[in-house]
Amino acid sequence: MSTAARPRASLWAYRSLIWNFAQRDLKSRFKGTALGWAWSLMAPLATLMTYSLVFGVFLGGGAPPFGNGRPGFFSVWLLAGLVPWNFFLIAILISMPTILSNGAMLQKVYFPSYAPILGAVTAILVQTMIEFGILAVVLIAFGNVGPTWLLFPFWLAPFIVFVGSVALSLAIMNVHIRDLGHLTNVALQLLFFLTPIIYQIDRIPAEWHGIHVRALVGLNPMSVYVDSLRQLAYALEVPSLSSWLGIGAWAAVAAAVAYLVYTRRGLDIGEAI
Amino acid sequence: MSDYAIRAQNLSKRFWLHGERHTSLKQRFVRGKLPKGHEFWALKDATFEIERGSTFGLMGQNGSGKSTTLKVLAGIYRPTSGSVDVHGRVSALLELGAGFHGDLTGRENIRLNGAILGLTGKQISGAMDQILDFAGIGEFIDLPVKIYSSGMYVRLAFAVAVSLKPEILMVDEVIAVGDEEFQRKCFDHLFDLRKRGTTIVLVTHSLSLIRDMCDKAMWLDHGEIRKLGSAIEVADAYIADVNEREFQAHHVGSDEAPGAGESKRIGSGEVRVTSVDWLDGKGKPSPVLLAGDPCTIRMHYSAREPVSHVVFGLGFLHESGVNVSGPNSGRQGSWALEAGNGHVDFAIDELLLQPGTYQVTTAVVDRGRTFDYADREFDLHVRGRGDQEPGLTRMPGTWKDPVTESGGPDATMLAQEDSRAR
Repeated sequence: MSTAARPRASLWAYRSLIWNFAQRDLKSRFKGTALGWAWSLMAPLATLMTYSLVFGVFLGGGAPPFGNGRPGFFSVWLLAGLVPWNFFLIAILISMPTILSNGAMLQKVYFPSYAPILGAVTAILVQTMIEFGILAVVLIAFGNVGPTWLLFPFWLAPFIVFVGSVALSLAIMNVHIRDLGHLTNVALQLLFFLTPIIYQIDRIPAEWHGIHVRALVGLNPMSVYVDSLRQLAYALEVPSLSSWLGIGAWAAVAAAVAYLVYTRRGLDIGEAI
Repeated sequence: MSDYAIRAQNLSKRFWLHGERHTSLKQRFVRGKLPKGHEFWALKDATFEIERGSTFGLMGQNGSGKSTTLKVLAGIYRPTSGSVDVHGRVSALLELGAGFHGDLTGRENIRLNGAILGLTGKQISGAMDQILDFAGIGEFIDLPVKIYSSGMYVRLAFAVAVSLKPEILMVDEVIAVGDEEFQRKCFDHLFDLRKRGTTIVLVTHSLSLIRDMCDKAMWLDHGEIRKLGSAIEVADAYIADVNEREFQAHHVGSDEAPGAGESKRIGSGEVRVTSVDWLDGKGKPSPVLLAGDPCTIRMHYSAREPVSHVVFGLGFLHESGVNVSGPNSGRQGSWALEAGNGHVDFAIDELLLQPGTYQVTTAVVDRGRTFDYADREFDLHVRGRGDQEPGLTRMPGTWKDPVTESGGPDATMLAQEDSRAR
């Protein structure tokens, strides 16, 4: 057995470092651009408009009615799905190379390798919170507000744990398996279409050649998170007990995997770079 | 409170050396799993303690495991086996500015580095003025560090590392960069930190730094502790070993030397110098002579026929081309030599030459007639003990106590204070 010269400090003790990394990411990302923060909203806005046009107008994809009884509006419904998805997608894409890009630092100073990864996720979370704010404003404009909004923090906390854990696991494994980035890109693209974001889940056949496709799509963790957010924010319904179980379970599983990956592969990462 | 800052027990660190690493899935599929490579112990079973408030020097040749040890102590590497206890907040200066991000301003980088060291925002704000003052880079502090000159970068990095009140400071030889003035400032600051009770671990090749700054030192050789003890002892043992090793290296290569330059010889040839031996204080042949020690230069000669008058001479030419000295036996008269082989010794009580390489010329002459002249044929290596003065030779002499000739305005006051202190 061996004991290293490292402070025995918890994740909580490193919150200030994580926040510093997040600030660094935010500042360096928008420094030198005239529009600054506005840029961070350009990409999701462009996605929203494209998808609204293609899937809402060209392909005639409808949206379920609002929780207040008004007829549904595709773009708003789509936005409620895209915001959590974008958080998941961008958090993973941005954090994957963080260990490698902070390599010089990790070899010269000790700090836990999760700090820059979680810092990157935190920076994305800040942008995501702005998008959630915009979603709220839009929903309020449609008069679609309800007491179920109070459940939002209970949905958000496990979702952050889930996204942070997945990002952490992938970012650490990315050092050991250098082509994980390519695989992840493909997997994320597949997952996007396997998650009911641009379509309603009841549009897919329940069974196809004996495979229960709809149930399978419903099992995917992002389906659970996206669907329950839409329920409580758009449809103003309380998600079912099984949804809540899914929300908690996926967060717990992801956190457990991240813990294993970090303790087995993340502690000596300065040597692996 | 314990009396040590760092305690290492049976500390070992192993690395796996891979010729080629399969770090992609594609490679793993195509070529299968690689054997583990061979192991390399950068540090083997090292046990030592560093007292609180002391300065500890780590020395050894390149690749001896100094930097690995420092990284293990700093927590960057985890030891393969053994344990290390560290009491106090560590600030490691392994590379200046390693924690800097080019797009952030100096001030923002100070905050980031402070957070890495585990300081709270409040503590960092408290140290901010001192850092700005020490770095002395003016309004650049609010500009991104990527536009800094390398000098400003180094200044800021050093200022951050030493001003955030580390309890234990680990320094690799990084401070050997920067201009003379800044280096001096750095060393002054290190001395200051030491005085205030900061534990310092210093990796250096500079023996004088070890002697001047360190209380204790550890000499590492191929990952193992060669010697651990007071800094002066360890430094002496180290330099003795380096000299010894150079001795061996020269000894192996010296067989082919004699007679090699004979064709360049000038002179009638009745007497020829065949070789020159450098004898140390004990009369034993040595490839190097130690500055300040007694020694003997032995010239072996071969006389073809008896010669009635000869004078031997030596000439020392420094590698810079300066003719340093040319002693000859003429002042002591001349000798008659019988035919055959023999030697003549030039005994030196105290070698005044400073460390360096000298080309030695030998001459055998008689009043205007040259028997043998070997122009710069022999090499003399002079080594020091580390306490080197500038110049080619030492100047023998003794310094006397200073004498005050006229008192300044404060002289009486100082004298009073002095007597009170006693």
